[in-house]
Amino acid sequence: MSRLRQLRPRRWLGQAAFLVFLLSVPAWAPNRFWINVASQALIFAIFAMSLDLLIGYAGMPSFGHAAFYAAGAYGGALWALHLSSALLPLLAVGLMAGASLALVGALALRARGIYFLMLTLAFAQVVWSVLSNNQLANVLGGDIGLISVPRPVLPFAADVSLFRPANFYFLTLTVAIIVYLALAAVVASPFGHTLEGIRENEGRMESLGYPTFRYRLAAFIIAGALAGLAGMLGGSFNFSATPATAFWTTSGLAMIAVIMGGSRSLVGPAAGAIVVVLLQLGLSSLPARGLAERWQLLLGVVFIAFVLFLPGGLYGLLRRRAA
Amino acid sequence: MNLSTNSVTVRFGAVAALQNVNVKVASGERRAVIGPNGAGKTTLFDVITGQRRPTSGKVLIDDADVTGFTVWRRARLGLARTFQRSTLFANLTVAENLAIAIRSRLKVGSRIWPGRLEREVGAEVSSRLEMARLPALRHRLAWRLGHGERRIVEIELALARDPRLLLLDEPMAGLSGAEREAAVTRLRALPEAVTVILVEHDLDVVFAIAQRVSVLDHGVLIADGTPAEIRANRRVQEVYLGGAD
Ligand SMILES: Nc1ncnc2c1ncn2[C@@H]1O[C@H](COP(=O)(O)OP(=O)(O)OP(=O)(O)O)[C@@H](O)[C@H]1O
Ligand SMILES: [Mg+2]
Repeated sequence: MSRLRQLRPRRWLGQAAFLVFLLSVPAWAPNRFWINVASQALIFAIFAMSLDLLIGYAGMPSFGHAAFYAAGAYGGALWALHLSSALLPLLAVGLMAGASLALVGALALRARGIYFLMLTLAFAQVVWSVLSNNQLANVLGGDIGLISVPRPVLPFAADVSLFRPANFYFLTLTVAIIVYLALAAVVASPFGHTLEGIRENEGRMESLGYPTFRYRLAAFIIAGALAGLAGMLGGSFNFSATPATAFWTTSGLAMIAVIMGGSRSLVGPAAGAIVVVLLQLGLSSLPARGLAERWQLLLGVVFIAFVLFLPGGLYGLLRRRAA
Repeated sequence: MNLSTNSVTVRFGAVAALQNVNVKVASGERRAVIGPNGAGKTTLFDVITGQRRPTSGKVLIDDADVTGFTVWRRARLGLARTFQRSTLFANLTVAENLAIAIRSRLKVGSRIWPGRLEREVGAEVSSRLEMARLPALRHRLAWRLGHGERRIVEIELALARDPRLLLLDEPMAGLSGAEREAAVTRLRALPEAVTVILVEHDLDVVFAIAQRVSVLDHGVLIADGTPAEIRANRRVQEVYLGGAD
């Protein structure tokens, strides 16, 4: 606790500077392309922060988080295509879709550690195969997915079009900040400390009288809901929801973002997500032939370098500098 | 809070860690359980707390059958234990370790809005650290503690639940003479209503705290009585006291 208190002034300053940086992106971004990249990075940051609640705080290494992102993307797309594209209900749909699927995925909670990782991975792959199943194409769009998804419409300001990149960027930024603040409150709360106790020693928590399963379930549902929220935004951003969002590589990228950024810090995984999006972009547009197609391999190499040379990730590096 | 085990048997394959063990501990009693290594003492604790289901037999707390209860439900009835091998929350500070135990007792471990109770939790952490003479260690991460300090925090964690039945599994192992004395004083100062069951190899500690002693050997309860009776018991002398007289 005192460690945090000592860091606090510097932390606030850093956070304020970062906020100014984020707010000013549309002002100095050279063109719409880069504003869109920034939106994508923020959506991915929301996704990675939600995963950090599981990996960093609750000690639940989920490798199937993409399933909940996809649930939000598909839920939001179906809602917007068939019912309404009003923003607030859509945000709620994203949250609910992620949370509901998490309730189903909760069967993985029976397992711990590497077995939990394998079960969540398997669960997400099942979700992926359902989404890409062409027999369900009239509902879910099969392997093409759902396309022509309209962007949300703002309440009270329907004339502010979210088709404009800068406007959509400010929407994702607002949601990202709210998610960050909410998660920061959760991890600092008694509930968050209970999760940390479970991460450290679940058996001990039980003998202190904590029904640990319920806490793990709650964490899983909160993380799923927020991943769904990110997915809903992602679907709007791309005008589509595709099966690939549920594929294990999406989960893997989020895990890489969490570990590269530094788990158990929220800001670390958010920064890691931004780095992953930029790396993905940079590596896949490398001029050398053959290399661009192998951007995932290159990203893997960068990731391994991080694990070897920067344990604790970007956030760990900053903290060591500050100490 | 009284406790009894009703012909509890625990088998690990061919090994019977406990065989038809019947112990009855009265409310407020200070009981010691002794026996050589591998006698089944820790296994008996595991069965009482619910960490291990007995192969057969029953556990009764306040005369109610709790054999099917989960660990956390028994803890909420007022059961607390320390572990032979320290199992603190390694990457949390001493204060955070204690706060987790205190919140469990106050039933506020699931709050998202900390509210006023968090301040109370903080104040209680301070007073408990004071009582355990560890205020300087408040912000120390648990894994950085020395062995003796860890054992003491281990006991404080169990005490922070204000248990009605306290199980201590070799709490003094590896403590220095002074630390041992402090711990004995702390345990003797517990409210009289608290039932205590202590596993301990140091017979001086046993005889300083316990009103009754149970002796296990190879999973069998071979004696049960006052310290004087146990000292005089032939079989106990043979298997445990090494014939000392
Ligand atoms: N999980 C397990 N699997 C198999 N055998 C076990 C297990 N736990 C304990 N045993 C065996 O059960 C017997 C009793 O063990 P237990 O740990 O209860 O003894 P103890 O009296 O606490 O010994 P110590 O004084 O060494 O702590 C021993 O023979 C031990 O090898
Ligand atoms: Mg033992």
